[in-house]
Order: sequence, then C-alpha cells, then structure tokens
Amino acid sequence: MEAKNLNEKESLELISQMIRNSRLKLKDGNGIPFLIWGYTTFFVSLLVFFLLNATGDYHYYWFWFLIPVIGSIAMFISRKSIKKHARNFIDRVIGNIWIVTGIAAFLISLCTFYYRIPVLFIMILLMGMGTALTGLVIKFKPLIISGFIGMGSCIIPFIIKGNEQIIVFGVIYLAMMVIPGHILNYKGKRKDV
Amino acid sequence: MFKELNPILHSELRLGIMSILLSVEEADFVFIRDETGATAGNISVQIEKLSEAGYIEVKKGFVGKRTRTVCKITEKGVDAFEEYVEALKSYLEINR
Repeated sequence: MEAKNLNEKESLELISQMIRNSRLKLKDGNGIPFLIWGYTTFFVSLLVFFLLNATGDYHYYWFWFLIPVIGSIAMFISRKSIKKHARNFIDRVIGNIWIVTGIAAFLISLCTFYYRIPVLFIMILLMGMGTALTGLVIKFKPLIISGFIGMGSCIIPFIIKGNEQIIVFGVIYLAMMVIPGHILNYKGKRKDV
Repeated sequence: MFKELNPILHSELRLGIMSILLSVEEADFVFIRDETGATAGNISVQIEKLSEAGYIEVKKGFVGKRTRTVCKITEKGVDAFEEYVEALKSYLEINR
C-alpha cells in the first residue's frame, strides 16, 4: 500500500477488505488459558486428594491455593510468548469476564477461612459460567456445551461424599476446560495452515 | 451534489490504516504493517499525519527492550470516516 489517491470504488473495496482481514485475523481462538487453568486445577486436586487420604491432615487444604499461584505464573509466561498485536472488543469482553470471575473466586476462597460453605459447588458453578459466557461471546460450541455441562455438574459434590469429591472436582475441570481448550487450539492451528 | 472527499482519508495507506483501526480496539505497528504490506517508514509518516489530524491516538511504550507503538481510532476519527464513506456513496450514486 502507498500514499496514493484511489477512486471511489477502490476506496470502498479497500475499506471492506481491511475490515474483513482484521476481523479474520483476530478470530483465531487461543485455548491456552483454558489448558492452564484446567490442568492446574486437575493436578492440584489430585495432589490434595492423595495428601488428605495418605495423612488425614486437613491442613493440606491450604494446597488449594497452589491453583491461583501456579495458574498465574503460567499465564504470565504464556502471555510473554504469545505476541498479540491487536485487541478488539471481544478480547476486552472476555478479559473482563475472567477478571470478574477470578475476583469472585478469590473472595469465595477467603470466606472459607471464616465460614463453612460448599466451596467446590460454588467454584464449579462460577467457572462453568465463565466458560459458557466465553463460548457464547466467541461463538464456539465446544466451550458453550462444556460450560453448561460444567454448571450442571456443580451438584455432584453434594451427591458424592468424602474426599472423593475432590477427584471428581478435578475431572469436571478436565472435561469443562481442558478438552475444549485443546479443540480451540487445534482449530486455531488449522486456520494458520 | 458532490460531497467533498476528506483529503486526509483519501489516500490508500491512510485509508487502510483507518479501516483497520475501525475494526479493532487497538493495533500496534507490527499488525498495521503486516495488514497493509507497507514499509515501516511510510506507515510512520501516515500515522503521524492521522495523529496530527486528531483521527488516531498513538501510545509509545516498551516491551522488554523493544519499543511498541499502539494506535487507536478516536471519536473524531470515527466521525471523519463515517463522513468519508457517506461522501463516497454520494459519488457512486451520482455515477450510476
């Protein structure tokens, strides 16, 4: 492109082409955040379950805080390696959905120090909502489906008693976040081929 | 009746830059260069012209040791773009 004059028709064609290209480029999905949070939650759940079962020491509940620590570090590292050169309205909406969801999750975690609350139920429902909302915004069916299934499975911790709830919690995150995260990444790579 | 075409927008590269910034909330220099295929020098000049006209906001920062220039269309830029498109339409309707 140069700084030359165009006729009217060329101008309108250029406008359409630029807008279309910019939208296509930014439509590429990035499943990495779902993989990070999904796998982190799954493996920390496994760790907490095995430690509780092996020792019976409920101080190991503190290990749940490994999720925000490991997840945040992994997100920071992944952001450095993924260079995003443009941001659109959808990026901002999704970013804000997860900021609000993250703050809510943090506040709920703090409450567990003072009150006995069904934290596994709340976390599954909250993260399921975030996942479904993201799927609806980017119009990606696997995320929509997994998000709503995740929300529906929030009652499972009430049905399964004991430490086994923790394993089920981790598996729900695998289904809700990891599977659609891999699909999203795969589809993004196919578009680049 | 012909509406006057805005001379700032009636240029291939400046129009291309404004079109890109209309469809994204913000874009950096690399994105604009990749989308337009123009040289870095030419893009810098046109960004400067658009910024002087008040049609875009330019923020310069750093990512590590590298500079990063991020551009965003302003409300004045959106209004000017809308007027330009309306003017184009008036030319095309008259030429039918």
